[in-house]
Amino acid sequence: MIKVFLVDDHQLFLSGVKAELNASFELVGVASDVDDAIEDIRSIRPDVVLIDVHMPGGGGLAVVTAVHETDPEMKFLALSVSDAAEDVIAMIRAGARGYVTKSIQPDELAAAIRRVNDGDAVFSPRLAGFVLDAFAEVVPAPIDPELDQLTPREKEVLRQIARGYSYKQVARRLSISIKTVESHVSAVLRKLQLSSRYELTRWATDRRIV
Amino acid sequence: MVRVRLRVFTCCEGGKHCGIIVAGREYTITDHVTDHLAGAGRVKRPGLAVRRRADDRILTGLAAGIAGVLEIDPVFVRAAFVTLSLAGGVGVLAYVAGWVLTLDDPDPKAVAALQEKVAVRGTRRRVALGMIFLGLLLLLKSLGLWFGDSLVWPTAMASFGFALTWSLIDQTRRSQWTRRAFPVGEANKGGSAARIIVGGVLMTAGLGLYLQSINAVGLVGGVVLAVVVTVFGFVLVFGPWMWRLINQLADERRERIRLDERAEVAAHLHDSVLQTLALMQRTDDPRRMAMLARQQERELRSWLYGNEQLTAGESLRQALEALAWRVEDVHQVPVDVVTAGDLPLNDPLRALVGAAGEAITNAARHSGGGLVSVFAEVEGPNVDVYVSDQGIGFELDSVPEDRRGIAESIIGRMQRQGGSAIVNSQPGEGTEVHLSVRQP
Repeated sequence: MIKVFLVDDHQLFLSGVKAELNASFELVGVASDVDDAIEDIRSIRPDVVLIDVHMPGGGGLAVVTAVHETDPEMKFLALSVSDAAEDVIAMIRAGARGYVTKSIQPDELAAAIRRVNDGDAVFSPRLAGFVLDAFAEVVPAPIDPELDQLTPREKEVLRQIARGYSYKQVARRLSISIKTVESHVSAVLRKLQLSSRYELTRWATDRRIV
Repeated sequence: MVRVRLRVFTCCEGGKHCGIIVAGREYTITDHVTDHLAGAGRVKRPGLAVRRRADDRILTGLAAGIAGVLEIDPVFVRAAFVTLSLAGGVGVLAYVAGWVLTLDDPDPKAVAALQEKVAVRGTRRRVALGMIFLGLLLLLKSLGLWFGDSLVWPTAMASFGFALTWSLIDQTRRSQWTRRAFPVGEANKGGSAARIIVGGVLMTAGLGLYLQSINAVGLVGGVVLAVVVTVFGFVLVFGPWMWRLINQLADERRERIRLDERAEVAAHLHDSVLQTLALMQRTDDPRRMAMLARQQERELRSWLYGNEQLTAGESLRQALEALAWRVEDVHQVPVDVVTAGDLPLNDPLRALVGAAGEAITNAARHSGGGLVSVFAEVEGPNVDVYVSDQGIGFELDSVPEDRRGIAESIIGRMQRQGGSAIVNSQPGEGTEVHLSVRQP
């Protein structure tokens, strides 16, 4: 069973998620502030950490950054009520492997946790929209063409996700395997994390609208 | 029975009169007042009518005491002392003499009450006193008690100009400033008195040096030194006060802005979130409850993250979001809008939004899917909108009459703007409408 650790400072939400996940995952720990979370994640070493973005004391960003200093392989799935672009991009660039909003359905959340555990990325339609938007401008002279641009195929996959299709549906619609979809999405995640495109930062700060 | 010489005495406590004593006449007065007088030593030593005011003082409160008797603003008396100090040092001597000859006022509140009245009358009195003062200055000048025209007149003008301005500032603001700059309970009272004296000495020294250097023409260094010393003295006297005043005012401003924002947030939450929560408690239908929550979320989100410069419906994204909101409201089906890129609305885009509205309504009414997804992308001149649902779908060839009509209205609308509309659907696979236009 996948070992899941929960970090959230909202008790109500925490207990709700706990109840939802108990059946199919092993809940190994819960923390409701930044310092506890960092300490417990380091000692318990769960498979996946579900982490709230907005918390007192630096938020999810601080936890991801601190844990990745000692455990660069720790997998984080960000969970938040915020759809603000700068929050999404900041969490992904800090190393989270996906971002879902708290209104996500329980079965979709379970699927997202499994996907993150398998080392894949979780892109919601909204995150796909952000990425397409952020990478939309054509850079005349990209610093690193590998990282600073999306391939046509990656764009196509992202568009399908933005249109609300699941990975499985995307695979069927584009006549490719789910594995291929997943590898495209992971490649996009890597670009999102590593690209030095200055637009990415500027875009996230400029665009405060969802 | 106590016999005293005083002009007027009004007791402080509760503002009630404990007794009135007028010079030359005897009155039986209450014990309470007797205590006052005995405690302050007034009975033993009548002295001058002027009392140094502990509650309103720069150095000893003498100026405020004199002002109380003359019934003018203390700041004028202070200006007079400053000016007279330059008239052969008469001001300093007069101040020291005044200090020796007067007593501390034991009962500042009574005087403060008197002070209230002072502010009301005064213009004529002020002019008269000003004339007397001017005469005094001229007299001192003719007696040779004079540090020079170039020093006394500018100082007189500057100090009385300041006094006039200060006296025009309304009382509350003035005491606010003073309180800010010299907070009650400040530990370094002694320090600030020392600072004022040192600063004053430096200023005087600087001015003296300046005068000397005027006589010895060509001594540029002397002038510079004099200016530096004077400025240093000035900073020493007024610097901390001004610094604190500025800081305090900025703090207050920040605090006020914060409170305003808080009030605005509270008002907004009250109008929207609390109303919705109340509505949700009165609903039994879980579907309706979820929709209310969703609407509220959308509204709150646009308030938190939205930009107010573009009012609703000004851009493609906003038009689509407003549309989604409306459909959710009417048909109680969630509509998700995702956009990449945005454009201000023009005619083709308005047609696009209208067609999208038809498609979204269609999906919400007929598909039976739980969710309608809308994705809009602006890429170069091409604008594409996809409206998808995961509902029952249909055979394109066997469309019922009423739905075909709508589909054609969507297609017709797009074609008139030089765009296109493609409907993809299969039974059990959901429906997707792809709308696109090319921007000129």
